Amino acid sequence: MNGKMKKIATGVLAGVMTLTLAACGNGNSGSGNASATDSGGNGNSGSGGSSGKKVTIELAISKSSQDSAFVAQDVLDEFEQKTNIKVNLQLLPAEQTATVLQTKLAVDEVPDLIQYNLASATTDLNLERNFEILDNEPWVSRLLNKDVLSAYDHVYSFHYSQDTGMQGVVYNKDIFKDLGLEIPKNYEEFLAVCEKIKASGITPVFMPFKDNWAANIWPAAAFADWAAKNEPSLFEDINAGRKKWSDVPEFATFLEQQYEVYKKGYTNTDILSDSYDMAVGKFLNKETAMMFMGDWLIVNVAEKDPNVHLGLFAIPSSEDANLGASPLGGQLFIPKKAKHMAEAKQFLEFLATKEVAQKMVDSQGSVSNFSDVTTPKLPEYKQEIVDQYITPKKTTLTTDAYMIVDRSELYRLLQDEFAGGLDAAGVLKAWDEKFSQLMKDKGVEGF
Amino acid sequence: MKISKKLYSYYLIWPALLIYSIFFVLPALAGLYYSFTDWRLDREAIKFIGWDNFERIFTDRTLLLAIKNTAIFAVVTVIGKNLLGIALAVGLNMRLKTRNLLRAIFYSPSILSVLVISIVFTPMLRSDGTINRIFEAVGLPSLSQAWLTNPAIVIWTVAFVSIWQHTGFQMAIYLAGLQSISKEYYEAATIDGAGSWRSFRSITIPLLLPAININLMLTLIGGLKVFSEVFVLTGGGPGNASQVVGTIILRSFGEGSWGLGTAVNTLLFAAVTIIAIPLLIFMRRKEVSE
Repeated sequence: MNGKMKKIATGVLAGVMTLTLAACGNGNSGSGNASATDSGGNGNSGSGGSSGKKVTIELAISKSSQDSAFVAQDVLDEFEQKTNIKVNLQLLPAEQTATVLQTKLAVDEVPDLIQYNLASATTDLNLERNFEILDNEPWVSRLLNKDVLSAYDHVYSFHYSQDTGMQGVVYNKDIFKDLGLEIPKNYEEFLAVCEKIKASGITPVFMPFKDNWAANIWPAAAFADWAAKNEPSLFEDINAGRKKWSDVPEFATFLEQQYEVYKKGYTNTDILSDSYDMAVGKFLNKETAMMFMGDWLIVNVAEKDPNVHLGLFAIPSSEDANLGASPLGGQLFIPKKAKHMAEAKQFLEFLATKEVAQKMVDSQGSVSNFSDVTTPKLPEYKQEIVDQYITPKKTTLTTDAYMIVDRSELYRLLQDEFAGGLDAAGVLKAWDEKFSQLMKDKGVEGF
Repeated sequence: MKISKKLYSYYLIWPALLIYSIFFVLPALAGLYYSFTDWRLDREAIKFIGWDNFERIFTDRTLLLAIKNTAIFAVVTVIGKNLLGIALAVGLNMRLKTRNLLRAIFYSPSILSVLVISIVFTPMLRSDGTINRIFEAVGLPSLSQAWLTNPAIVIWTVAFVSIWQHTGFQMAIYLAGLQSISKEYYEAATIDGAGSWRSFRSITIPLLLPAININLMLTLIGGLKVFSEVFVLTGGGPGNASQVVGTIILRSFGEGSWGLGTAVNTLLFAAVTIIAIPLLIFMRRKEVSE
């Protein structure tokens, strides 16, 4: 065999390897799209009284929300039986939900209904341009709390519940009881509580800051509480470019507080390596007593072990602070370009009927948003939140509710404070720069 | 009877060319155009804005850091993967009993998904993880590091994991190259009194140049286009400390700045072309034939 042949053969072999390499790359990037269009519907088998005029409407929903009460099979079946309208679910991969919906809206390939979070819809999906205003729907007059479904002074979405998630310090009530601890009313008391828990051999606070969004719970509630009590127009001014985040010295203090909790050794040691998915285990094993998080964590822990008693108190950044409330999520929206607008609205009307709404409220144990639907008996932790914070009106929407641009850079900057890259003032300064750039790109006046 | 010398007609190229044009050339050209616009998720109209996006890339601190990180990653992995790849190939080209087994072992990481690699390495690289435990056990606790959470070293850690994973692939190409070198050269060299280092330098390296070229190209282009290793190990963090150009593109799209994201992508494409093609031509000239 001559040398030339060998050389060619080597070349061909290497070429084939290169191709395989390239093909692998393509396969990876393509797989996401493939599953994105995979609609999780269960075929179009005609059931019941088919009059020949059956309509199928499409409902796009993130895979992570597929246990939403709106899309429970018995609800969809009942709707189909009554109206001969079939609801077909398009399940979107959780981490790509925003991208897939943005693309669908951009190319006019819109579903008839979308389940999404109202606050994110204003930042990610251009609510005003893409979605139908629902002010004149028959169910709107029965709403107790229109705000949780509204933006820009219009009702844009539907939900049977007004039960916004709450954010604060999730704590183990049994540990507090055993150590004889009271709920801290300010930052100094909080540090004292941490000290006592640490002395008992339990990690006072679990910080899973590998997931950088988790570093935002403390400041998002602390900032909002301060603004609500000291400068109610602050976020409006910030969003109009009249004020900056770094203009409020207290904000730097709040960031320093959270950092101090870590520096004083009141947390897990490797906070930047620990992730949120470890949190449930930490509470189940009683390795940790507290965490800055939303009340969804309490639900997740209770599902695993109802004998672990968790509660929630307000982030103790200032004296007697309010509990942070996250904007309501998981609403249904109708795109302006929906092909079956009338049928989609009919579906919302069906969900809003007293019987159906009552069934959903009961099954989810949530606070009803319809005047004629009664709220069922709430779980213990929730009843406490209602008694201690909601009824005395001691809740404040967190800063997330006011952000109209992507917040992920803020999360990264908060994480950087713990990696030693930035101090509290540096975080705010860097966020000011990024924030004004994002607002300018978005075309907001004043930037 | 007349037999055509050509086996196939050039017309057969058309279907492939058409598909290539529709799915690669056209989007690439469209991308070039969009990188000069303010294309955004919330804009009705797309406006031509000249070089603004590119100006921003070179004034934004995070983007500059990402470019620096990409350069570090590319250089470190090119050197690491190729030096180790040649060393492994030469070693496993010798007559060892366990040769085939060892080849399979060294090659195996490169067939694993990068996600699996991340699940394996993330706990090992924690500050209380296996690697630091080993350092402590052998009496070198000063070498313990927060491998994935110290902003100063995180990109080096990611590069190390990438070298660990892909060196076996480079090794395979070098092995193929080594096996195409005729034994006669080495015999002649031995008779002439050349030692093993001299043989390696004067016979192995020159005749291995085609394989070296291919490997340099593959590792360099792979290094500049790095995304998945960073994405699964650190997500660009802590903060923005390990952002690379690939993750910045994702970030820009996530923020709705599609025009900017496309501009970064165009820049990456240009950088890969400008670096890779002259290098390819230069290395080709150095090749010798047997």
